[in-house]
Amino acid sequence: MKKHNCRNPVGVSRYTGLWLITPFIAGFAVFTLYPFISSFLLGLTEYDGIHSPEFSGLYNYKEMLSDSGFRQAVWVTLKYTFLLVPLKLAVSLLTALLLNAELKGMGIFRTVFYVPSILGSNLAVVIMWQFLFTSGGLAEQLTGMAGLEPVSWYGEPDSAMFMIILLRLWEFGSAMIIFLNALRDIPAEYYDAAKVDGCGSVRAFFSITLPLLGRVMFLNLVLQVIAAMQEFSAPYMLTGGGPMNGTYTIGMLIYDEMFRYHNAGYANAVSWVLFVLISAIVTVLFAVTGKSRREDI
Amino acid sequence: MNKLFLSLAAAGCITALSACGSSSSAVTAPDGKLDKCTLRFSWWGGDDRHEATLEALKLWEKKHPDITIVPEYGGWDGWSEKISSQISGDTAPDIMQINYDWLVSFSPDGDGFYDLSRLTDQLDLSAFDEDVLDFGRMNGKLNAVTVSVSGRGFFYNSEVFRRFGASYPETWDELFALGKTMGENGVYPIDLDIQSGGTAWYLAVVYVQQTTGRQFIDMEGRLGFTEEDVRTALDFYKRLEDEHVIRTVKTRSDEDGNAALYQSSKFIGGNVAGVLEWGSSVGKYELALDKGVLEAGAMLKGENGESGGWMIKPSVLYAVSKDTSYPDEAAAFMNFMLNDAECAKILGTTRGIPASKYAEETLEANGLLEGLAHDNDEMLNELDTVTISPYMEMTRMKEFYNSAIEKVSYGETDTETVAHELYSQMSRYLEKVAK
Repeated sequence: MKKHNCRNPVGVSRYTGLWLITPFIAGFAVFTLYPFISSFLLGLTEYDGIHSPEFSGLYNYKEMLSDSGFRQAVWVTLKYTFLLVPLKLAVSLLTALLLNAELKGMGIFRTVFYVPSILGSNLAVVIMWQFLFTSGGLAEQLTGMAGLEPVSWYGEPDSAMFMIILLRLWEFGSAMIIFLNALRDIPAEYYDAAKVDGCGSVRAFFSITLPLLGRVMFLNLVLQVIAAMQEFSAPYMLTGGGPMNGTYTIGMLIYDEMFRYHNAGYANAVSWVLFVLISAIVTVLFAVTGKSRREDI
Repeated sequence: MNKLFLSLAAAGCITALSACGSSSSAVTAPDGKLDKCTLRFSWWGGDDRHEATLEALKLWEKKHPDITIVPEYGGWDGWSEKISSQISGDTAPDIMQINYDWLVSFSPDGDGFYDLSRLTDQLDLSAFDEDVLDFGRMNGKLNAVTVSVSGRGFFYNSEVFRRFGASYPETWDELFALGKTMGENGVYPIDLDIQSGGTAWYLAVVYVQQTTGRQFIDMEGRLGFTEEDVRTALDFYKRLEDEHVIRTVKTRSDEDGNAALYQSSKFIGGNVAGVLEWGSSVGKYELALDKGVLEAGAMLKGENGESGGWMIKPSVLYAVSKDTSYPDEAAAFMNFMLNDAECAKILGTTRGIPASKYAEETLEANGLLEGLAHDNDEMLNELDTVTISPYMEMTRMKEFYNSAIEKVSYGETDTETVAHELYSQMSRYLEKVAK
């Protein structure tokens, strides 16, 4: 018979808590911790994914320094991240503001705007993008109607990257939902009081909404940076990393080295460099925004 | 505590990693019996191959109700990556259709696949010539059996040629002349992809092999081309683009996106009037057009009648996973797919002209030895062909070719510089991987 007291109100054993979290710990150990440590160890080996790995020290990391393909992939990934993330935050915030209005049937709009995020960059979406952006597609017709020269979407590195950015921008649903929830948490009294003092809606946005969204903005920023740095599926399916490796991200490099070239040791080493790169960027973001986030609290 | 935990975790990972690589697992010995079991069989291909193979599996189940075959199939893109992860994870299908270069990639020492010479109780190898069986030998062990031997050839949209009143080219000069004639109407006589197929470099290699008599890479993985030959190949490719024989890489990307050529609206709509394709895989192009529209054209020759340089290889091979628990049953199924008369009739030439004499004789006796694969095979048989080195087909090598072709096509730099870079890359890589 278990004792019931203030410290143990339901009379459970001291190990019950541990048992309850065991499924999570087991899942974490098998699916996160094990791959995490083993990928670091594999990065120190020469391994083709088939035969036993052979220890090679820092050889893979030294190889990376002289690998122009790796340098190109890092450049492409950083460029992609710094172009996509601000745009995505702006679009998702703007949409969240629109969907925050109390109008009839707004629930339907909120659902509809989230649909692209559920679709992701699957094959059907890729085929749709192909119809939109290949010659004679809708994009060309629209630019033609606007009297502009047709854009070589698939044929030029910069426009191909922009096409991928558009695909990811289209999937703004997750960031938008986070903004929307935060917007609904801002008390209406703030706006009412501001209105009484003669504050317009633009001023209210910059003086009330934006400051109160600071922490959520930071959360979205970090989540989007991490997702963009790990980008793989959109360029893999849309452009294959081309043209001229202009959309060849670090994620694609890891995949190719691992599965196409049977260079698993190198692929794991690159994964760790990507991990360090993402950690560094997130650390910088924390450091840069530290003061303003503390002020929010 | 933290230190202890990390040490334990690291020790666990190291123990698990030391078991990485499947070479250590025991190979199941044949027992000479056919037990009740379920086997997985994987292949890639176009719809024609899928439909015929699924039909053949129905026949197998009728003949062997105790041995169920689970099919795993799809298109070529991404297939080698899928198999690669299955093999490294010890989850490879029991019987696999494999590509020629996979023998070098997955089984350089001959231990990557089951040694089929141990399974001759179930697998009849008497239908195969010894030199055909040699294609599947690694380090003296029979790792795979060749399903068919095939080469790339030209296949043309006969309706487009009829519209232009043109006949299929027989020499390189005639091909370039067609580029001019058809180009005036925005039509390309052929097109070559630089995707996973890598046909652009293939054709350039054929041209240089024909003109120089040197083989690009020999069977041991030694580079036979000089840097000058590589440059000639790249110049030849550039000329194809410049003279409107093929689309530039940029035009192809703009028009097709990332789609394969047989799915391209330009091919289906007749703006691209021909393709260079394996006889064993041309079915998917044939299906994209109306029946009978695609026809085989001649293997191109030099102006003085030089006809060498064209290449052949085992188009596909069958292998048994070394991790299978049912080697006898897998061998029996492989035997059915390779030699069974009724199965041969169903499969036809969807994997090329069968290398098995039994299957070939069945097709001939039933009037099924016809079609594009057969026409292509006949033309190649008349030539002094070169056997492709498996090293030429390796994925990393294809990446080198495609990257060089792309640089030449975009005019990023001159062919001399690209040739130098490509030659150095290939030399270094071959030195690393060749025997």
